Amino acid sequence: MMKENDKKVGVYICYCGGNISDHVDVEAVRNRVEKMPGVAVAKTNMFMCSDPGQELIIDDLKSGKIDRVVVASCAPSLHETTFRGAIERAGANPFIYEHANIREQVSWVHHGDPATDKATVLISAAAAKARKLKPLEPIRVDAKKHAVVIGGGIAGIKSALEIARNGIEVAIIEKTGSLGGNLNNLGRLAPSGENASDILQEILGKVKAAPSITIHTGCEVTDVQGYVGNFTLDVKGRTDSFKIDTGAIVMATGSVSYQPFEGEFGFGTYPQVITLPTLIEALKQSKYQTETGWFEFGGKPVRNIAMIHCVGSRQIPGIHEPRENGQLNEYCSRTCCSAVLNAANQIKERFAKTRVVDMYRDIRTYGRGQEALYDRASANKVVFMRYEADAMPTVEKSSTPDFPLTVKIKDGLTFNEEMDVPADLVVLATGIEPSDVSGLASAMKLPVGTDRFLLEVHPKLRPVEFPVAGVFLAGTCQAPMDAGEACNAAGAAAAKTCALLSKGVIELDPFVAEVNPDKCQGHGNCVDACIKEGALKLVDVQRGGKTVTQAQVTAAMCLGCGACAAVCPEKAIDLNGWALEQYEDMVDAIVAA
Amino acid sequence: MSTIDLNFEEELKTFCENTALACFNCGTCTAVCPLVNDNFPRKMIRYIQVGAKDAILENANELYKCLHCGLCTHTCPRQADPGEIILGLKRFVVANWRRS
Repeated sequence: MMKENDKKVGVYICYCGGNISDHVDVEAVRNRVEKMPGVAVAKTNMFMCSDPGQELIIDDLKSGKIDRVVVASCAPSLHETTFRGAIERAGANPFIYEHANIREQVSWVHHGDPATDKATVLISAAAAKARKLKPLEPIRVDAKKHAVVIGGGIAGIKSALEIARNGIEVAIIEKTGSLGGNLNNLGRLAPSGENASDILQEILGKVKAAPSITIHTGCEVTDVQGYVGNFTLDVKGRTDSFKIDTGAIVMATGSVSYQPFEGEFGFGTYPQVITLPTLIEALKQSKYQTETGWFEFGGKPVRNIAMIHCVGSRQIPGIHEPRENGQLNEYCSRTCCSAVLNAANQIKERFAKTRVVDMYRDIRTYGRGQEALYDRASANKVVFMRYEADAMPTVEKSSTPDFPLTVKIKDGLTFNEEMDVPADLVVLATGIEPSDVSGLASAMKLPVGTDRFLLEVHPKLRPVEFPVAGVFLAGTCQAPMDAGEACNAAGAAAAKTCALLSKGVIELDPFVAEVNPDKCQGHGNCVDACIKEGALKLVDVQRGGKTVTQAQVTAAMCLGCGACAAVCPEKAIDLNGWALEQYEDMVDAIVAA
Repeated sequence: MSTIDLNFEEELKTFCENTALACFNCGTCTAVCPLVNDNFPRKMIRYIQVGAKDAILENANELYKCLHCGLCTHTCPRQADPGEIILGLKRFVVANWRRS
């Protein structure tokens, strides 16, 4: 124990330009800390993260005044890596570092003497832990220069192309018989008016010309094992099953269009009530113009079309009827407003005689160049009506022989008067629902939101990443988005995949469990407690000429949770960087302060 | 309750240059109108958009309160020309008054 008490801890306390020093008496803290056991140096600086601040640490390390470092400043999520980097530049091991957060946990929430006292306590605990820190080496795992993209829609294809362009082999696994996903169902894309099929043809040509992309259509991933850099996927084809070894996985499992239930706005009851995808398909199949000048559907001229927004989106508990599984789609599907107006414009510009009534709850053609769709629709004499969620339009059989259907609407734009809209065709702007990947998500331990879309770690700090290392996501499996946005997300996921795999080696934080072979008796309690399958197992090893059973950690898979350390009766397993004796010293220091 | 008639927009063309469908229901015309009538002239423009012919004839007396000062046309952000449309509606009403 004496040896550890020889450790020379340097404590560096930050003013954060007043953020901390306005509430914490930083110099008083420094005076108290200086007298603490093991503290060799205690210094303050206006900004520890600045170059002069970092130089303080580097100089003291180089001159041998200190061999352990504590910085008391902001949250470690912001600058822990900054200070580890400074220590590395001084030629020392970056893991002899401990952080005390005296901004978010002190100066931003406490004031006056209690703030100064709490800062002192946190720093004394950090200094006590620092004395017990040992140098660690990052875990290096070999990474296979190969990626699997699950889903062959536009997001999947685009990320596969980008990954392949960077010299990494890619396999695309697509559930259906062909690539292209939902783009196969779209016609002219908003706002540019390009044909989805032209874009798809161009991009599929590139995929076929790329030798490093393998395509598996009609295949599903049934299970995923392994860890970052070394995954194994079980893939089930129509006739055979096989395995793929890969370094990283991109989830691009996409979405489907909401299917209205029987009777929702007359869907399924009247053949003249159709969904937006059905209309888009009809527009694709239709002649550019007709002799009558009307748009024709099912061989019949269409004089009036009513289009109803927000079908299967923005549903409100208590107003909308949930699905059998209790599901309500409370989110906005975002793309339908533009899609409806895009279809309305195509109709009006090709079949001028056909009248379009657009019934919205709210309308927003978000995105660059898309507001013009509304202006165009207005110029094309589309009539807009507005309904409220608690007074939805109803679709009924018409009481007159002129039209098959009547849409009854309480129109907010006509001062909430009840209106009867005669219609030949009613189009429901159905929203976006994520493809059902619940089985795969639970097998891979991927987080899923209550809206059933997959969840990234953080939209700004770690976009398109999952908490499971080596797994990324792209496209509408994450949220409703249009084809352009799906491609953006695909590019981001591809860039992160390439950055991860390009070196062939991945460095992971060394904060994982380690077994002390002198103490381990092979009870196996730790294996039972372990929450990560494959991270901990019992193996037979040779010790002193005898075969004994002991626990063994697969460092790359260990999550560093410490569940094993808590249950070991021999205290034979511990967590690097967060060891039990470090905690004990921290508690002692807190009590003493 | 009215049944909307989307052909009315065509019908009105014989009485004025019909720009009613350029309107996006912002209400600026009503806000600047010196008459203190509720929602005039916006309500009339809206009735044209949806083809609520009966509602226009029922409320025709409102049209004759208009002073034709031109403030609505001057301030309309969509160049829907409400003043001209109100004038056209008067002609329409005269042509259709008690016809049925």
